[in-house]
Amino acid sequence: MRRRRPSPAWAVGVAALALLAMLGKAGAETLLRTRLNADIRSTDPGTNRDANTDGVIGHVVEGLVAFRDDTSIGPMLADSWTVSNEGRTYTFRLRQGVKFHNGATMTADDVVWSLKRWLDPATQWRCLSEFSASGIARIEKIEAPDPQTVAITLDQPTALFLPTLARPDCGQTAIIHRDSVGPDGKWIAPVGTGPFKLAEWKRGQYVDIIRFDGYVSRSEPRTGYTGAKDVKVDRVRFNVIPDSSAAKAGLLSGSLDVIMSLSTPDLEGLRSQPGVQLSITPGLALTGILFQTGDPLLKDVRIRRAIALSIDTPQIVDAVMEGTARANNSALPIGSPFYGEVQSHGYQQNLVEAKKLLAQAGYHGQPIKMITNKRYTYVFDSAMLVQAMAQAVGINIEIEVLDWATQLDRYNRGDYQSMAFTYSARLDPSLSFEMLTGPKASQPRKVWDNPEGQEMLRQSMMIDDTAKRQALFDEMHRRFIADVPMIVLFNNSELTALRKNIKGYAGWLYPQPRFWGVAVQ
Amino acid sequence: MLGYLARRLAMTIPTLLLVAIAVFALVRLIPGDPVQVMLGDAADPAQAAQLRAQLGLDQPIPMQFVHWIAKLAAGDFGHSITNNLAVLPLILDRFQVSAVIVLVAVAAAACIAVPAGLVAAWKQNSLLDLSVVGGATLLLSIPSFWLGLLLLLLFGLKLKWLPVIGYVPFAENFWQAATFIVLPIATLTMVEIGVLTRMARAASIEVLRLEYVTHARAKGVPEWRVLARHVLPNAFAPTWTLIGLVLGHLLGGIAVIETVFTLPGLGRLLVDSIFARDYPVVQGCLLFTAVIYVVVNLIVDLCYPLFDPRVTIA
Amino acid sequence: MRIRANTAIGGTLVALLLGAAVTGAFWTPFDPLRINLRARLQAPSSLHWLGTDEFGRDVLSRIMVGAGASVIIALVTVLLAVAAGMVIGCAAGYIRGWADRIIMAVNDALLAFPGILLALAVMIVVGANKVGLILALGLAYIPSVVRVVRGTVLSIREKEYVEASRVIGNSEAYSMLRHVMPNAIAPVAVLATSMFGWVLLAESALSFLGLGVPPPAPTWGNMLAASRPFMETAAWLSIAPGLCIALTLLGINLLGDSLRDRLDPRMAHG
Repeated sequence: MRRRRPSPAWAVGVAALALLAMLGKAGAETLLRTRLNADIRSTDPGTNRDANTDGVIGHVVEGLVAFRDDTSIGPMLADSWTVSNEGRTYTFRLRQGVKFHNGATMTADDVVWSLKRWLDPATQWRCLSEFSASGIARIEKIEAPDPQTVAITLDQPTALFLPTLARPDCGQTAIIHRDSVGPDGKWIAPVGTGPFKLAEWKRGQYVDIIRFDGYVSRSEPRTGYTGAKDVKVDRVRFNVIPDSSAAKAGLLSGSLDVIMSLSTPDLEGLRSQPGVQLSITPGLALTGILFQTGDPLLKDVRIRRAIALSIDTPQIVDAVMEGTARANNSALPIGSPFYGEVQSHGYQQNLVEAKKLLAQAGYHGQPIKMITNKRYTYVFDSAMLVQAMAQAVGINIEIEVLDWATQLDRYNRGDYQSMAFTYSARLDPSLSFEMLTGPKASQPRKVWDNPEGQEMLRQSMMIDDTAKRQALFDEMHRRFIADVPMIVLFNNSELTALRKNIKGYAGWLYPQPRFWGVAVQ
Repeated sequence: MLGYLARRLAMTIPTLLLVAIAVFALVRLIPGDPVQVMLGDAADPAQAAQLRAQLGLDQPIPMQFVHWIAKLAAGDFGHSITNNLAVLPLILDRFQVSAVIVLVAVAAAACIAVPAGLVAAWKQNSLLDLSVVGGATLLLSIPSFWLGLLLLLLFGLKLKWLPVIGYVPFAENFWQAATFIVLPIATLTMVEIGVLTRMARAASIEVLRLEYVTHARAKGVPEWRVLARHVLPNAFAPTWTLIGLVLGHLLGGIAVIETVFTLPGLGRLLVDSIFARDYPVVQGCLLFTAVIYVVVNLIVDLCYPLFDPRVTIA
Repeated sequence: MRIRANTAIGGTLVALLLGAAVTGAFWTPFDPLRINLRARLQAPSSLHWLGTDEFGRDVLSRIMVGAGASVIIALVTVLLAVAAGMVIGCAAGYIRGWADRIIMAVNDALLAFPGILLALAVMIVVGANKVGLILALGLAYIPSVVRVVRGTVLSIREKEYVEASRVIGNSEAYSMLRHVMPNAIAPVAVLATSMFGWVLLAESALSFLGLGVPPPAPTWGNMLAASRPFMETAAWLSIAPGLCIALTLLGINLLGDSLRDRLDPRMAHG
């Protein structure tokens, strides 16, 4: 505004008016303006949701436990817990004096009510199936022995109980006040315990959250979705801007303060801008090339292996992610506490070996279709580079561009030869393997159909012992690399651009922003 | 007049019914479904089946069609799968944005194009004519979204005269709203000037050759009067038809411009809904655009006699 | 005078386009598909006259090959729309009665959709490839041809010489082919030239909305769409294909004008 150039008189008039309006408001509240690439689906946590919804709602509601920066589980609304009854009963000690947005104090009764609501099929909670017979464990009992204690009994021990409760896509199994729903049980709006309250949702345009003055922060430092949540702005506005170039332009012109989930081409132009700072955080999402191991041609592991050996993963990652991510052939993300020396061994480019394998397999240039999409630049670019590199050893890959929904349909049906694909973040190593591993007969979307792998996965979900789990994940990695059901390329980085006057922002492994602890100067 | 109107309206019914069938069939032909988009890469089959049942997508397709039509007949366009909003208010809300841009742009284009075309025709084959036609043809040849991007870069980023993103409804703040839609309107205006100038020029040439113009000139009527009184009204008539066609199409078809300028318009809504497989919204939008197209062309036809005295509506 | 300017400029531009397309089919300065990650986003230089793109591919080579792809797509689409439109339009105009009413109802229904969005939906169904694109755009443009042809047929079939042809014993089909069709050709030819331009535009618009001819094969449309994120940092990426589309359209439109003037000097409709 201050550096306006001479413009027609009316524009100056408009500018003056706008400036006056801004000054009038500036005294009243500090506003942080950020961007969503699509409108949120609802305000009901973990039901009608997507990543954008989770990101907004994560500021408004909280659960008993939450993920820390390194994806370990930390206390949130529960201060502590004990596990008894052979790993089947979790007894949570609740934090004292937690206030809901309507001023009510949280008690064990609210927790029981919330949990039972999630477990009611009518709520259509996304994670209900996790607590069914086909999931990690069934919940047998939820009790509140006293107003500060809640005990949950499962039908079998599982390593995934707390991580599942904390999952952002499960709405963090939020503890909400009864006023969130009407007398008929229908959702109204979240009355949660988060540091922000939902203020206004102008559909298709923006969602506003405002500071919750009654919030009592935890004392330990900010970490993940827990720790101190010290709100330093009055209002955060999530503007719905589908177009990334427009969002970038908005940041440059100063009408936005923060834009998340940038694509790498955007980065180029932003690096050199004086008013802009960048936050680059390694993430958990995973991009790679999937193979249909049931395909007449690709069922031959030698051909799959030849493709893996024909490509130079670090070079692809460098070009696609512009130096913001590291190559990783392992199913476990680099940031995972279980990612170790074993996981760092993947595929080494070896053109001679690749050609030899192709000759042995009798491959002579049969076309291999590779599906990709333009919704995710990095998926598209990865496919392009793999195609070009595989061509050097005589592998004939034909790119097919589909829209994302069509590609998902083909993925879910297993109807493809190969595809460049991206998986959203999984916060537990077992879940990282679970998204890939399973029998194709009953779950056609799974890429890795290996009975021994499935058995190891099952064990990793039951055992709570870190060393034993590590041993399982190491062995699974070796077999995964040997089978080449897919080529993992890298874990996506979360790229965020902020105006220079925004202080205190930090990304973390999970690709969602946190606007507590963030100040506008 | 009323009889004509009734007949025209009756004629649109089979068209719209066909549109409805086509829309419904097209939407179901598109691979993928809203449930998969919602669940992303973690689509548990049981969960997916539950969602499908809840959305009524597990029913046989003819049944789904009957349900849809029955509700439509009662004026209910259904609810969006993505965000559970009622479809008709959603469409109307977005339509306002597109309508403002298209109406202003086409009106502005017509105000420039018709006189320009007339003058070019009047001075046919002169240097002036050549430059008008050349300019119009050039404008016609520029991809609209490319032009939009260039304008956005120039006025939004380099000169910083106008905001780059966002939209404010006119009801909220007129001037602020204006700053957001100046560029899209300018882009669209420039493209339409190209189309309309050529039409206006062609029509004017035709009229200038007619006898009554020669006659008027012979009678010693001043040249400006000949143009203003005799040529302009008659030359405007065919241009008016084209304006109708352009309006009808643009109202649904400015998705690209809305994408460039991130405006929450009808075209953008439709494109987003296609990609999200939001069936009720896609169906609603397409049907709505078809209705608008039919209505606009009806209005254009009804207004035709106002511009062309030779035509009467029986 | 004006006609000559039209023909000359339009002809030159179109000749340049065809020249680039034909040359591109046999020879380009670089392999248009060869990825060179060490030469990404280089500005125009004596080596790469139009610079390189985000994969280090030579933009000039891609423009040349893209010219061929774009011309073929536009040409086939127009031929498809014209052929189908002529047959359907003639049938409707000649048979009249119920068939005509049904055809025109369907036609109006198709016309009532915004063409580009219809094409987008069709492309998702058929697949984002050249065939899908041609089918989608062809379908979107058939109704306009049908309308023009039917209009012409209706106005001509009652003319005396057509009547005469029937009276002297020529069959309906013969009269139709011999006398009615030729009259429909002039307006259709004019429409076809405009359509050629629309297809070029629509192809880039579709790429821009996320569906077009799949890479790595270049078309001007997908090059322009891919250049979007680099508009500020590497402007040459969008200027080259944008200008090519604009100049080609200009050439086509000018040629269309001169064609119209020649075919029917009186008929000066846009």
